[in-house]
Amino acid sequence: MDALTASIPLLVFVVVGTIAVASSILVVAMRNPVNSALFLLLTFLCVAVLFVMEGAEFVGAVQVLVYAGGIMVLFLFVVMLINVRALPDDRILSPYWTGGAVVGAAVFVLLVALVRPGVYHEQNDNPLALRSTTVNARHRVVQPDGTTVRKRYTRQQVVGNSEAIGMALYRDYLVPFEVASLFLLVAMVGAILIGKRELGIDDEDVDPQYIVDRVAEEKEMKEAMSA
Amino acid sequence: MTWADTLLLLPELIAATGASILLIVPVLGGRARGHMAKWAMLALMAVTALAVIGSTYAVAGVQQTPTFRAMFAVDAFSVFFKLLFVVVIALVTLLSEDFLSEERYSTWEYYSLLAFALCGMMFMASGVSLITIYIGLELLALSSYILAGYYKNHEESTEAAMKYFILGTVSSAILLYGISLIYGVCGSMRLSTIAAALSTMLSNDALMFGIMLLAAGLCFKIAAVPFHVWTPDVYVGAPTPISAFLSTGSKAAAFAVFARVFYVAFPAFHLDWSNVLAAIAALSMIVGNLAAITQTNVKRMLAYSSISHAGYSLLGIIAMNEMGLRGILIYTMVYVFANLGIWATILMLRRHAYAGESVEDFRGLHKRAPFAAFSMVVFLLSLGGIPPTAGFIGKYFLFAAAVQAGFGWLAIVAVVMSAVSMFYYLRLVVAMYLEEGSGAETIYSPSLRFVTALSLTVTLVVGFIPELPIRQVIESSSHLVGRVVQR
Amino acid sequence: MTGLLTVVLFLPIAGAILLVFLPKDIPGPIKGGGLLVSLLTFLASLAIVGRFHDGIGGFQLVESHAWIPQWGINYTVGVYGISLWLVLLTTLLTPVVILASWNSIHKHPKEYVISMLVMESAMIGAFLAMDLVLFYVFFELMLLPMYLIIGVWGGKNRIYAAIKFFLFTIAGSLLMLLGIIYLGFQQVHLTAGGVPTFEITQLYGLSLPPHIQTILFFAFALAFAIKVPLFPLHTWLPDAHVEAPTGGSIILAGVMLKMGTYGFLRFVLPFFPDASIHYAPLLICLSVIGIIYGALVAWVQPDMKKLVAYSSVSHLGFCVMGIFAINQASIEGSILQMVNHGLSTGALFLLVGVVYERRHTRMLADYGGIARTMPVYTVFFVIAMLSSVGLPGLNGFVGEFLILAGSFQTHPGYATVAAIGVILAAIYLLWLIQAVFFGPITKDENRSIPDIAWNEIAAVVPLIIMIVWIGIHPNTFLRRMEPSVQQLLATVRGEQPEKVMTASLAAAATRSPVAQTLLSVRSGARMRGRQGLSVGVQGPKGAQTEVSVLRVTR
Repeated sequence: MDALTASIPLLVFVVVGTIAVASSILVVAMRNPVNSALFLLLTFLCVAVLFVMEGAEFVGAVQVLVYAGGIMVLFLFVVMLINVRALPDDRILSPYWTGGAVVGAAVFVLLVALVRPGVYHEQNDNPLALRSTTVNARHRVVQPDGTTVRKRYTRQQVVGNSEAIGMALYRDYLVPFEVASLFLLVAMVGAILIGKRELGIDDEDVDPQYIVDRVAEEKEMKEAMSA
Repeated sequence: MTWADTLLLLPELIAATGASILLIVPVLGGRARGHMAKWAMLALMAVTALAVIGSTYAVAGVQQTPTFRAMFAVDAFSVFFKLLFVVVIALVTLLSEDFLSEERYSTWEYYSLLAFALCGMMFMASGVSLITIYIGLELLALSSYILAGYYKNHEESTEAAMKYFILGTVSSAILLYGISLIYGVCGSMRLSTIAAALSTMLSNDALMFGIMLLAAGLCFKIAAVPFHVWTPDVYVGAPTPISAFLSTGSKAAAFAVFARVFYVAFPAFHLDWSNVLAAIAALSMIVGNLAAITQTNVKRMLAYSSISHAGYSLLGIIAMNEMGLRGILIYTMVYVFANLGIWATILMLRRHAYAGESVEDFRGLHKRAPFAAFSMVVFLLSLGGIPPTAGFIGKYFLFAAAVQAGFGWLAIVAVVMSAVSMFYYLRLVVAMYLEEGSGAETIYSPSLRFVTALSLTVTLVVGFIPELPIRQVIESSSHLVGRVVQR
Repeated sequence: MTGLLTVVLFLPIAGAILLVFLPKDIPGPIKGGGLLVSLLTFLASLAIVGRFHDGIGGFQLVESHAWIPQWGINYTVGVYGISLWLVLLTTLLTPVVILASWNSIHKHPKEYVISMLVMESAMIGAFLAMDLVLFYVFFELMLLPMYLIIGVWGGKNRIYAAIKFFLFTIAGSLLMLLGIIYLGFQQVHLTAGGVPTFEITQLYGLSLPPHIQTILFFAFALAFAIKVPLFPLHTWLPDAHVEAPTGGSIILAGVMLKMGTYGFLRFVLPFFPDASIHYAPLLICLSVIGIIYGALVAWVQPDMKKLVAYSSVSHLGFCVMGIFAINQASIEGSILQMVNHGLSTGALFLLVGVVYERRHTRMLADYGGIARTMPVYTVFFVIAMLSSVGLPGLNGFVGEFLILAGSFQTHPGYATVAAIGVILAAIYLLWLIQAVFFGPITKDENRSIPDIAWNEIAAVVPLIIMIVWIGIHPNTFLRRMEPSVQQLLATVRGEQPEKVMTASLAAAATRSPVAQTLLSVRSGARMRGRQGLSVGVQGPKGAQTEVSVLRVTR
């Protein structure tokens, strides 16, 4: 029985991992974008399960909330909005796909051969070590003469899951984290720049009236076409 | 982490804040005043440069001072590269003036993206942890993708941006995978910790694979063979000032990272990775130069030439000695200025015509623009490594490093390929001086003239009196070299 | 005057910089200015001869300044017996070239004169440089002006010829750069100073292991063999000569090719003595092939200029043979022959240019019997030709005789074959004279060719004077090169227990009392005969420099 219970995590990992890999393949294999999006959702959920299994409940929860909840909804929103039902039937696979598959398989074999137990660095024996952190604090100390002073001290403290992530993000990895925000800003600017309707040479100024006119014009065009 | 630490971050903060302000200006009604953007950008660059110099005073003796939990360091090495980046971006700003006024694209956003790219480059130069380096690189890359596609209405530009984006993303993924393997083996992403962990290891295949993936990702950024295929298309398709930026600033940043990561983190495994990199370097030099010979489009030719120069610079990393690191620093500088000067000349020629960058356009240039033609010759000679231009000093360092490190065969390949490269550089000289012909129309604006003059000055000064720049380079690299010597 | 060499070196470049500021459209003053500058340089170089001490084999008039101290690269120049006459040849030929092109260069005269002056500086620099990297810089600096001279002012096929010339030369010289770096760092390991040294006096007598010598020998020899050019690598030369303007050909044949032979003497022999001795038969063999091949190909040329170009291949073969025969007579003859070849081939190119100017053809078939219409010209041409053939009483004889006499001692077989080259030279050159100057006038255009003009006479007369001088009294020249050649041979044979009187000593002599004492000690040693002395001297940068005094042999 003990053997069985001990192997349950492994079993779950194999099953969930297989589903994650399979569904991620299906994401790119599906012809219908909605199906793709749904498989992506499944992948996210499986990954969330894996996170939870590793004891990272917070990350798992974030995975579900942000990816599965937020980002997927956005995806679906866009897919529905542009109203692509299915891709055309003709073959869109690159003729070099066999080569790609061979390379992929080779890399996979290589990784399986290389990344085996023992190559990774030694974890601390104490699983809580990952969550322990140094904390700066002040507290009152009663001096021998009766007065109290505030003294700074640091101590090791085991903190909760989300607190550990907070510590990692806002203290250990503060700089990369902040640069990531710049990165997202640039991504947004880029999306707008690329998606923006190009202004003609004559109407360089962003005149609100111009936009209103243009929208009205397009409306008329659409009505004319549907009529 | 204290406020003093934040002070060290000041240049990056200024660049990021400035970039955001540039983004906001058009919304506040500055759209009409597009010509102001250039001056705003230049002012921002000036302030950033001052902050970079100022930050060195905050650090005693400019030794390495990791801050923010060893994610970020201000040291002489990073200061050298940051100043170089600021100058490059300022010169690219000057180069962009005509392009923007002609094509009527949104000026402010363009400069804002350049400033963000600068920010990313500065984080790359200062990052002492793989994660900081990676995210800085991504910031730079994303800005570059957008800028490469800035000619929205031109099919080639869009295609170039698309190619650059897809291949760039794949290479980022490779890089990230490499980082994750290294992290897995070493338990840290800090370069110094990795080095410490590695020094006790005998051999580790997973680690080697990680280093190789990391190198592959970086080789994409420096456009080394076989990760170079994007280069010609992107250089031709992208707006010319952006091509200039990609071939200079972006590459210089990648080399800063390459040098720091390999010199600080991986000296212990030098024997293992040096041969792979040597093969890449040799291939880059051979393929780049041979392919460049057949090109008739100058931009494409420069793209292949930049591939070959990535190969030369790699010598400095492969050699893994004092000479090599100094060589990378000085060669990067030399290469950046020579290239910017050449791009300025191309910009001068290519106005009013999108695709007129053939060698024929240079015919008889010395009659129409004697200064430009003369400078062009100096830049080409510098790229070819002919004394007494700066290129000779750079190549001398790199060749000497390779010879010293026992990579004589690689130095011979480099030398032979330098001779081959003269063949296509000379084609331009021939066109400019020896052939008659009206060629393309030229308009030499003051900005372009300034860029050419500055690049020319640097190229000649470094060539004739190299003592000062070399001393600077030695100072800037000594603390990284110290680690290698300790090994 | 301590800066004499620097003055000679930079005077032409300074003149060129001044010329840049002159307006384009006044060819007269521009050419006049160029002539003036080159004549001043020539006068200054005569001062070098005046200050040159005959009995000393080491470097003289040495100047040294730090240039890139981090790498141990210095600006060090000095002259010794082997380079003295080549510097003089350069400064003599430059005004000659400017005079000769007085009326023939119409396109961009300003740029032409500037190129020539830059060229002159580069060539002088390469002869004077005592630092390997400095030498390399000047060696490369020569390429660009020559490239432009061929490419801009050349004939129909000029671009092809210019590129071929450039690529051939640069391919060789880049490999030499690697060799230079390697050599410099060899010294680092030996001295443990941390800074490499490129000072040639410190590299002389460096006994490198044989395998390293072999590698470096080929790295250097390839560069110089291309420049000479030695037999299989000569293909760029005829193209370059045929396309180059007259002035370019004179400089190319007169001085630039000597860079190769000079490089063998100055670097290859003393740096890699064992490899040089080991591979000497190979090089002699190639040079003998070159002698015969060049002569045979010259024989069948229908084009006068090509004929002279191939005769250069043949004549320079003699020089290389003389160098690698490695004995006193052959090396002295070789150096003299370098000068001779510069004078006679320079004169021949110049004179071929004269008729080309008038008739715009160089084909032998287009001439015939012009001795009647151009008598003065014919006299000059025949003198130059006879000098090239090696007629006793003219310079060519002295050089070739010394080379052959020296080579017979070491390589009698090759020397015999090479002697056939002398006979062949007589055949093809006399055939040229016969075809061009004598016989009936077959073409009507040749009946009214104007004779040689004043500027051409002014250009050719100095060459003729030197041709006769060397032929009659070669000792003026041989005397000054003798000690240096002896010293070179001693270095090659590994006989010298002490190093040669070095640059550092001479450089320090002006400021350091110790060095001055040493100099006086040296003259004492000279009186006593053979004596070596080695003393530590405070070098220019404060470093303790090992300085030894020359062993005086007579």
